[in-house]
Amino acid sequence: MKFLPYILRNVMRNKLRAIFTGMSIAVSLFLVTVLYAYINVQDETGEKTKQFARIVVTAKQGLTFPVPIAHVDKVRALSGVEAAVPLSWFGGKYQDEKIPFGQFATDPEQINTVLSEYDVKPAELAAFKADRGGCLVGSRAAEQRNWKVGDNIVLKGDIYPVTLELTINGIFTSESSTDQLESLWFHFTYLDELLKKDRSRQAGNAGTIFVKAASPDNLGDLMDRINETFKHTDAPVRAVTEQAFRQMFTEMLGNVQAYIRNVALAVVISLMLVAGNAMAMSMRERTREVAVLKAIGFTRFIVLSLVLVEAILIAMIGGAVGVLGAKLLFAMRDIVFRGIPGISGFYVPWSTVIFGMALAAMIGLFSGIVPAWRAAQVSVVDGLRKVV
Amino acid sequence: MPDPARPAVVELRGVSKEYMRDKTPVPVLKDTDLDIPQGDFVAVMGPSGSGKSTLLNLVAGLDRATTGTVTVAGQELGELSESKLTRWRSHHLGFIFQLYNLMPVLTAFENVELPLLLTSLSRRERAEHVRTALKIVGLQERHDHFPRQLSGGQEQRVAIARALVNDPVLLLADEPTGNLDSTAAQEIMDLLQQLNEEFDKTIVMVTHDPRAARRARRMLHLEKGTFVETEVDALEARR
Amino acid sequence: MVPIKYNIRSLRSRWVSSMMTVLGTGLVVWASVLSFGLADGLNHTLEVSGEKLDIIVMRKGSTAETNSTVSEAVSREIDALSGIATNADGAKLCSPELVVLDNVPRRGDNGRANMMIRGVSPVAKYLRKDFKIVEGRENRPGVREAITSRSMARRFEGAGLGEELEAIDGKFLIVGLFEAGQGATESEVWADIDVVAQASKREGARSSIQIRANNPSDATRLIDRIKNDPQFGLDAITETAYFAEQANSGMALKIVGRTIAIILTIGAMFAVANTMYAAVASRAREIGTLRAVGFGRTTVLVSFLLESIILCLAGGVLGCLGVLPLNGISTGTANWQTFSELTFAFRFGPVVLIQALLLALFMGAAGGLFPAIRATRLKIVDALREI
Repeated sequence: MKFLPYILRNVMRNKLRAIFTGMSIAVSLFLVTVLYAYINVQDETGEKTKQFARIVVTAKQGLTFPVPIAHVDKVRALSGVEAAVPLSWFGGKYQDEKIPFGQFATDPEQINTVLSEYDVKPAELAAFKADRGGCLVGSRAAEQRNWKVGDNIVLKGDIYPVTLELTINGIFTSESSTDQLESLWFHFTYLDELLKKDRSRQAGNAGTIFVKAASPDNLGDLMDRINETFKHTDAPVRAVTEQAFRQMFTEMLGNVQAYIRNVALAVVISLMLVAGNAMAMSMRERTREVAVLKAIGFTRFIVLSLVLVEAILIAMIGGAVGVLGAKLLFAMRDIVFRGIPGISGFYVPWSTVIFGMALAAMIGLFSGIVPAWRAAQVSVVDGLRKVV
Repeated sequence: MPDPARPAVVELRGVSKEYMRDKTPVPVLKDTDLDIPQGDFVAVMGPSGSGKSTLLNLVAGLDRATTGTVTVAGQELGELSESKLTRWRSHHLGFIFQLYNLMPVLTAFENVELPLLLTSLSRRERAEHVRTALKIVGLQERHDHFPRQLSGGQEQRVAIARALVNDPVLLLADEPTGNLDSTAAQEIMDLLQQLNEEFDKTIVMVTHDPRAARRARRMLHLEKGTFVETEVDALEARR
Repeated sequence: MVPIKYNIRSLRSRWVSSMMTVLGTGLVVWASVLSFGLADGLNHTLEVSGEKLDIIVMRKGSTAETNSTVSEAVSREIDALSGIATNADGAKLCSPELVVLDNVPRRGDNGRANMMIRGVSPVAKYLRKDFKIVEGRENRPGVREAITSRSMARRFEGAGLGEELEAIDGKFLIVGLFEAGQGATESEVWADIDVVAQASKREGARSSIQIRANNPSDATRLIDRIKNDPQFGLDAITETAYFAEQANSGMALKIVGRTIAIILTIGAMFAVANTMYAAVASRAREIGTLRAVGFGRTTVLVSFLLESIILCLAGGVLGCLGVLPLNGISTGTANWQTFSELTFAFRFGPVVLIQALLLALFMGAAGGLFPAIRATRLKIVDALREI
């Protein structure tokens, strides 16, 4: 637009004010972006897993109830099932770490078929299959603890009163997913034998069963059949899509979402006031200039538009700094947040970026509307009146 | 003496203007008639409160007469709506103010270009017009300077270039030399005279300054809202 | 000292601008207090739960009751130990308990959550701080009856008084609602221990035993005795220590809450600075006059700083007032240690409010500092020349 250079000059006419207003918006929208990204990442990750056509089977009463290991074979026997493995959360203590990382007892034969997005060197996978006391670790888990293939590690049981001594047979990575990269997979049979030796009642618990369907169609039908298979046994199950399974964890956070929304709302309103105030101050200094423009022949509409665009521009530039800054920061999380667990899966999805920019535009619009209207209403005669 | 045979650029008939102050009407102009033909250069003088600025505002279409008609370049201003009037102004008038009133954030070039942004000229066409206007006022080399980098006289010349750039029918000047020292004032009046004589621009100038007024072709005195003409003085002073 | 009424009148003369700044900072403070109140409420729930003479006995190595099992036989041996208190009615304050999780739908469309169901004996209530039945009655042993807290009744399907809760393997009739000093107990549903054990097909099983000792030295003795017995395979810690560990979930929330508040404050500081710079610019002549009259540089600086602080404190008070209606509103989130849902209430006690006002003060001081410095840098002569 040909008026753009003029508008830009006005944006920068008071550099300090423009920078401060912009920074105010940038910082606050950075925060809002991160908060919303938190919610949206869960959704997006959930969406992404759709392509793998996986079903998660838990005990009907909930995640913490046992699923008999024998169920796994029965699931495998169903038509439409390509592979199925137990994935039992061991939750052991590694050295001094306070928060247990993902340690899963599973079936080495089919684990890579079910969790197909992870890449392991064939030799390492073979070694893992052959070594009952062996394990595969995710690339990030290895990075964080300086593990190498061949290292021995010890996991002290918390849920299960046993100690696991494992050898790292291999390290797996992935190009598409970071979900399991901080985890460790070991033989279910190894854990089970230790438990059986103690005659523990906890033996034989598969925890959850991850099922890979042969095709993404008719997942609903397969889930029904799985449920039906065990309905009248001692251990009925509930089968849900992997997406739904993940959503359960977000749901557990409950009102945190409401809290985030309220904080975001407060922030946005606050910014409208802040930016509006800055715009009003700027326009107060320009009453005469506006009068001159109108004398020259700028219509009310043009004057209103110029001011409104100026307000929106400031808001969107500030917004871009904050929103894109957030995206960039978390894109570089490996460098910035090195060593902090759990953050590897976190990023700012583009949908959140767009949302943030839309907020910025809205802030600009609402902050500019009153000053723009008042500028349009300026009386030329009064505005040109000589001071002396 | 301007040629009355030439078409009138400004025609006022029975024009009165009164303002309301606390519900009491205060008359500023009383039943005024005025004719300004093409090519005329009129200086309007009078004590403060005499209505000079009001007269200018009415001719410019910045204000509306209480009674009577104001016709400029054949257009009766009373017939136009607010937005049409604004657009009409951009095509037909050029303004020169006492306080120059340049946009501080724009360069001289960009200030002069401002009225052209309201037209549909292309960027190149606009630049041409601006350069021509700046040449006329003699400030091409300073086209990229900001107002704060110019002297008072130079600022006023940029303002004049801005007033010229859309080739207006009428130039309105409100105390153009009011803020200038005598040297700069002289330069400005030289320029205005040149515009009137060489370029045939019609100029209506409100001023306090008798030396500036004497450069015009005609002098009109406003006293308490009515005219008292004294053109003889003007001619005398110039000859 | 420049009189304060000069600042107040100046603020009032530009009251629209001042009002907008006050509202802006008010909102920021509101959001910050919300964050603090969330964390504080969570911590309070976990703290309140600990009674000094109470001991929790779990399987060795377990960090939470949900991970622990204690056999019936061992449970009986514990019961026989000396040093356990008895209450006025002669009941021994040794309560074996069985904790079971079930995934239950929340009311409305709020998804599902893990609910903690505690199988208890009649003695259990004496071992909870400020426990009392507020509606209905206690559950009877051997019957499928259950009691829970008001907040649980409000938040979960079927948990209201008189309703039937679908849990474990079937229905439980809710016969009463209790209060327990806003502690963690208010996130639980209680039923008879044998009924719960049977329903979850774990006859005779226990998760933990809660004991009240006679006095602190008895408490220490009991803890040592239980921990050091090689046959038991048990751990014993005081309740306060137990909940302190669980507060680690609260720690994360506290850090997040504080971070959010800090970021918001930084954003607000820029806004305050903007307002004050404009104030300084528009009052240049006044400042010049003050200085010409004889007020020193520092005095002028302090004056403007004060004005900025007044603005922000006003916003701070507004923000605090805006948050008070939410005080006590309960909400829930996940307790990652026990993997169940923890109900807690927003707490906006004096500590939180003072923190908020300090934040507002900081906002005003930091945001207003540079504009105030600029006010002192104005050359008197230039300032007086300003229009």
